Amino acid sequence: MGLHKTEYKGLLGWFDARMPTLMSEYKKHLAEYYAPKNLNFWYIFGGLAITALVMQIATGIFLTMNYKPDAASAFASVEYIMREVQGGWFIRYMHSTGASFFFIVVYLHMFRGLLYGSYRKPRELVWIFGCLIFLSLMGEAFFGYLLPWGQMSYWGAQVIVNLFGAIPVIGPDLAVLIRGDYVIGDATLNRFFAFHVIAIPLVLLGLVVAHILALHDVGSNNPDGMEIKDTLDPKTGRPLDGIPFHPYYTVHDIYWLSLFLIAFFAVLFLAPEMGGYFLEWNNFIPADPFQGPLHIAPVWYFTPYYSILRATTEYFMWVLAAFTVAYALLVFLSLKNSAARIATLGIALILVVFMVVPGLKLDPKFWGVVLMGVSVLIFFGLPWLDQSPARSIRYRPGWHFWCLIAFVVIFLVLGYFGTQPPEDTRNLMSQVLTFLYLAFFLLMPWWSRMGEFKPVPARVTFAAH
Amino acid sequence: MKKLIASVAASVALVIFASIGSNARASGAEIHLDHWPEARAHDLAALQNGARLFANYCLNCHSANLMRWNRLQDIGLDERQIKDFLIFGNQKVGDLMTVSLRPRDAKAWFGKAPPDLSVITRARTSFEYKGTDYLYTLLRGYYRDASSPTGWNNVAYPSIAMPHILWERQGPRELTIERVLHVEDEKTKTSSSVRQLSVFDDAGNATVTRTPLKGHFDESTEVSFKPADTAAARQFDADVADLVAYLNFMTDPSGATRVRIGVWVLVFLSFFTVLAWWLNRTYWKDIK
Amino acid sequence: MRRFGLVWLTYRSARTTRPYTVKSRAARGLRPLFPSSFAKNPMSMTESNDAVDDSRRAALLMTGVVGGAGCVAAAVPFVASLTPSERAKAAGAPVVADLSQLALGEKMTVEWRGKPVWVLRRTPEMLASLKKTEGEVADPASKRTAFPTPAYAMNEYRSIKPEYFIAIGICSHLGCNPLGPLAAGAAAPLGNDPGFLCPCHGSTFDVAGRVFKNKPAPDNLEVPPHKYLSDTVVLIGDDSKA
Repeated sequence: MGLHKTEYKGLLGWFDARMPTLMSEYKKHLAEYYAPKNLNFWYIFGGLAITALVMQIATGIFLTMNYKPDAASAFASVEYIMREVQGGWFIRYMHSTGASFFFIVVYLHMFRGLLYGSYRKPRELVWIFGCLIFLSLMGEAFFGYLLPWGQMSYWGAQVIVNLFGAIPVIGPDLAVLIRGDYVIGDATLNRFFAFHVIAIPLVLLGLVVAHILALHDVGSNNPDGMEIKDTLDPKTGRPLDGIPFHPYYTVHDIYWLSLFLIAFFAVLFLAPEMGGYFLEWNNFIPADPFQGPLHIAPVWYFTPYYSILRATTEYFMWVLAAFTVAYALLVFLSLKNSAARIATLGIALILVVFMVVPGLKLDPKFWGVVLMGVSVLIFFGLPWLDQSPARSIRYRPGWHFWCLIAFVVIFLVLGYFGTQPPEDTRNLMSQVLTFLYLAFFLLMPWWSRMGEFKPVPARVTFAAH
Repeated sequence: MKKLIASVAASVALVIFASIGSNARASGAEIHLDHWPEARAHDLAALQNGARLFANYCLNCHSANLMRWNRLQDIGLDERQIKDFLIFGNQKVGDLMTVSLRPRDAKAWFGKAPPDLSVITRARTSFEYKGTDYLYTLLRGYYRDASSPTGWNNVAYPSIAMPHILWERQGPRELTIERVLHVEDEKTKTSSSVRQLSVFDDAGNATVTRTPLKGHFDESTEVSFKPADTAAARQFDADVADLVAYLNFMTDPSGATRVRIGVWVLVFLSFFTVLAWWLNRTYWKDIK
Repeated sequence: MRRFGLVWLTYRSARTTRPYTVKSRAARGLRPLFPSSFAKNPMSMTESNDAVDDSRRAALLMTGVVGGAGCVAAAVPFVASLTPSERAKAAGAPVVADLSQLALGEKMTVEWRGKPVWVLRRTPEMLASLKKTEGEVADPASKRTAFPTPAYAMNEYRSIKPEYFIAIGICSHLGCNPLGPLAAGAAAPLGNDPGFLCPCHGSTFDVAGRVFKNKPAPDNLEVPPHKYLSDTVVLIGDDSKA
């Protein structure tokens, strides 16, 4: 008759006979998804990221009920929500705090990837979907930030759209196309609203589903880096070091979610502005197209890349050109294929010409945008840049760990500098740090292979709770 | 190798702290702001006094278009009191605090439209100082200056377009501005430190004297006021503190409720965390 | 048949060359990904180990109940945001109407909560007609509760002062605005009584807002809460004693 055979009774049995997908997917992704038993603190951030996404969507829906995406009434409508909508202040603060917490969680989630080599084969696709999520998240944050129509909203959007204007040949027209007008205005606000409320959230949801499906198809990595599927129970065929995600990791995640919520609500209720980093002070001034704020800085989660953008000055271009040549030589010497070798030299030549040759060179403004873009996009390349014999930091030489810590420090310092006004010493330091940031990734194929590696065990290291 | 990296990290950290320092020090022209007495933020009497001053002195040029009159019930006033003592025109108690001065006209008459004050304490905050401290200093920082178009100037906002609205309450004062400046000798191109003393009497006439200093000093500015009536000045300081307390309330009316609810939420979540930890343990103790 | 023609290639690709049933992974010599034996994994909740089960159940129950309470509490501000905001409440505030200029037989309209509120100064003839229409209206004593009539309007005039009739000018059928006051004989549906006629579906009301029998509208016109601040000033939207 077309009905499926089912082991379930009652209403669930009726459903399962007609749509067995529900229970089969439940088993595949929860009750019978075998995750390594040694997952530690660094593994909570994926679940927390989903929580953050759900919170942003839920609060976003309720904000949209009262927000007006019109240049004349946007600012007032946000204050209307804060003061006059019952419980509106709570929903608004949840959305603004949630945005910052989303980025904190995502950065920590990515750091776990760096620690344990989660992006290595066979999980490259999980990592690529994750990087696409990160890019979409940055876009979502950028579009959302214009909506309150404060000074920072307006001028931040102005600066970023002008970045696109820096692209040679097509730049200025592209900027007009993005804005929908010759200056940031009502047209821009309305379309950014459409992107923020519906377009990118749909993309994000799709990417998150793809990210999780790609992960579940190959199985989770673990802090020791070996594949738990390599050691199976001969009787049941399941990984000896695996435990079903549900109930073990569901209760584990509930506990850590509770701790996360304490931190989240402590900020929301006691310090929602977070010293001006989560809710920027200048954004309480309505947007004024004729007078920008004294001090423009992007929101804290964009500041590292902003530092890199600002560091790119004319003199720095010479330094970069020199390093491009040096890097090209390094790659040349490491490659055997003559076609690849020629391609390397060719690309390097073209880059150097457009960097420093008078008459042909492009503005440092454009190269700043390129460097900033490279500093984000280079994350995509990690599965291929990391050539270490051991996946997890635990079995790599000790100094690899310090390289990773150094990268984190560089990221944080660049971030801090990005919040400060431009200043010569800081600019010089930003240039040094930009170089080190890029070197961390670009030289990784070489340094990740250097040093004494420890033998990777066959079974996970686990201490009973 | 680890030592090398550690020392590099340490020196990086040192340089960072040095550059932090170079930013936090106020530039030569900026004064140290007075500290607004924060305890007043929760004093209903102070907030009501501030509301009264606001309605009487500010709410004609400045609007507060995002604040509703009946929200003043949060600071202990009832609708009758708001209507009788605070609303001067024919606005209803459910109306927003709008004014009839149009921003276009204000810009033509004053050169700059008086900003809306609904969210002013947050708008005037920066990473360097709090909006409440700034406003507290600003409103008490006026001095007579015969060379300015309005006859008034302000130590916190030089050449301010707003005149000293509350001057009658403050009374006359004498101001001394002591500045250490760097001057460059055009001939020798060397920079030296100079101490500049400007004394403004209560009619706005300034006496400026300069004395060269031996040695090189950082640029700085110190201001000190001498009121003719110290008791009136102290009362004025208290009134301005109340006014700033009210502006602070108006910027974030849900602030007090938010903190109150927040404490309970955190207590609840702490309790829930203990339960969640217990739940986690009941499952994980099987895993060997 | 040409073996490499487009038709042949299409035909070949449409036919499956594999058997209809696929061999299981085990039969193909592969290790299972998620074998069905996982349904009985030794560490599942259905494994009999009473002490473990009891503590799990207790923990689940407590955490579930407290967590559920937390979720309900978290939902409160969201649901509250759907209720009228301060702006809506302020706009719904009571309205003062000055009746001193209202002539006999004239109707004035004031806005309250976005709705038109009529004040009709009834003539002696209009008042007299109410006795006649008593038998012709569907609910003469205003007993129906869809739009409850305030206690002070539960009388033959449906108002505090007989001379002034105050009602919301919205037909109780489907919400149009009735025309009126129309004099006796002015409109055919009204017949020989003065009153109001709704142009949409023909419902008629007498000068106390009571709907006539056998009309589409089920209820009398709604009387809003109101009170007189003086003989000629009425506050519509508020009938508190204070």
